[in-house]
Amino acid sequence: MKPPDEHISRIATVVPYYILAAVSFVIFQALLIVSLPEIHLHYFQPKLLALTHLFVLGWGTMTIFGAANQLVPVIAETRLYSSVLPVLNWILLTIGIPLLIWSFWVFQLTWITYTGASLIIIAIILHAFNIYKSISAGKSNIITDILLMAHAWLFITGSIGLLLLINLISPLFPEEHLHYLKIHAPVGMAGWFLQLIIGVSARLVPMFILSRKENTKLLNVTFYTLNTGLALFLIEGMIFHSFHGRYVYLLLVITGLTAYAAYIQGCYKSALRKQKDAGMRQTFVAIGFILVALVLFFIVICMGAGVPPYITTMFGLAFFCGLVTIIIMGQTFKTLPFIIWMHITKPNSLPELMPKDLFNETWVNIQLWFYLPGLLLLLIGLACNLTITLHTGAILMLIAAIIYTVHVLYVTGKLKTKLL
Amino acid sequence: MNIDITDPYYAVKMKAIQALYGVTDPELNINIVDLGLVYDIHVNEEQKQVSVEMTLSTKSCPLGNIITNHARVAIEDELHGYDAEVELVWEPKWNYDNISAEGRTALGL
Repeated sequence: MKPPDEHISRIATVVPYYILAAVSFVIFQALLIVSLPEIHLHYFQPKLLALTHLFVLGWGTMTIFGAANQLVPVIAETRLYSSVLPVLNWILLTIGIPLLIWSFWVFQLTWITYTGASLIIIAIILHAFNIYKSISAGKSNIITDILLMAHAWLFITGSIGLLLLINLISPLFPEEHLHYLKIHAPVGMAGWFLQLIIGVSARLVPMFILSRKENTKLLNVTFYTLNTGLALFLIEGMIFHSFHGRYVYLLLVITGLTAYAAYIQGCYKSALRKQKDAGMRQTFVAIGFILVALVLFFIVICMGAGVPPYITTMFGLAFFCGLVTIIIMGQTFKTLPFIIWMHITKPNSLPELMPKDLFNETWVNIQLWFYLPGLLLLLIGLACNLTITLHTGAILMLIAAIIYTVHVLYVTGKLKTKLL
Repeated sequence: MNIDITDPYYAVKMKAIQALYGVTDPELNINIVDLGLVYDIHVNEEQKQVSVEMTLSTKSCPLGNIITNHARVAIEDELHGYDAEVELVWEPKWNYDNISAEGRTALGL
């Protein structure tokens, strides 16, 4: 379908990403249940590696790529540079991700592993190139700078990941493998996920709650402190093979996050619409998980090598399942119904249905009612080593993932019905 | 937006406004008149043309083209025999103070 406006990306550049991400989300939650007997073990083991990469690539990054293809043209007041590249990237990721995940799951590093990883890296490069070219042709501002930098960190994370895979069969690095894994993971978490969430929410939150005032100077603080902290962490870790400055880097990141929190608080204070809908409520719950993840991360770096593996896993769960998943679950229904509506509404007649009619707000609430208690039970079960609690939590999260996925398919299914 | 009762095209403009009340902003779910997006309406009786000057809450609004098309269709449906054209203007810049009392109530403000 031809988009009626230059700021509307083609449907094929957005919707397939949401669908595949939702399916990955259900598979992740199902495999989490299967992997529960091993969840207390060290995170560097086949099933947790497979699960983590299924989450970050299949669920998180897939959704973000689709959303970025729609939102970047809006944020930069431009058009998407290429509508072909996102389709190609989707194909590359759809082939590459299962190959990589399967290799991790059975832990057999063969040509399949390296083909999968290479396809993913190519997709990341092409996506980042498309976003860079789109933003270059539009209006630059601090939010577009944040988005570009997030993509740069994604490329760095992916490249380190590929080198780590090669390192497993043909040693490249002077230090032990785990040293570089400790760089790969935080760089991806803070540089890619956290920074992208900051960039996108800095644009969407004030828009949704009708803020009168946006103090973008605070976002400048976030941009420079967060990226300086990460860059120093990367340089020390990769070149000097140590993490002596870790508290300074963490302080820089926390300063950036504090500035971001102050920005969001300022937006909320000046907001006309203080009543939050289900999507916005979930966004604020997700932002709260940044604090939980930070506390756990602080414990991890304070304890150093002596940290029990389950605390590191709890940190990962708080960050990925708490922050990333809940924000995606909420924002999906703040964006996807509009994307679908823009493509099915007829320009020459008044619509009978509006975007709010294309999804069910009650379902958005119900998904959180299952997901949040599920996640909390999982964290408690992990901390206290309670098998039943762990299983109950994981099952509740799987139910939430199924509700979310059915809902996404229901919304995207409107493309076929052409109700408007 | 107010229309002077002494305006020679008062009746036509009022019909146009009524039609625009039927055009809803998809994000905020209130009509574009109460949202304060409609700035002015001009009538050219000789050419049977109604021109609307309106704005959007943001220049990069991806729904802009759809909203202006709906505004044009709404007026042409209401005012048979007239052509409608909608021009997007960016001055004065729209702000939240443009929202009418009814709009604020509808938004739960």
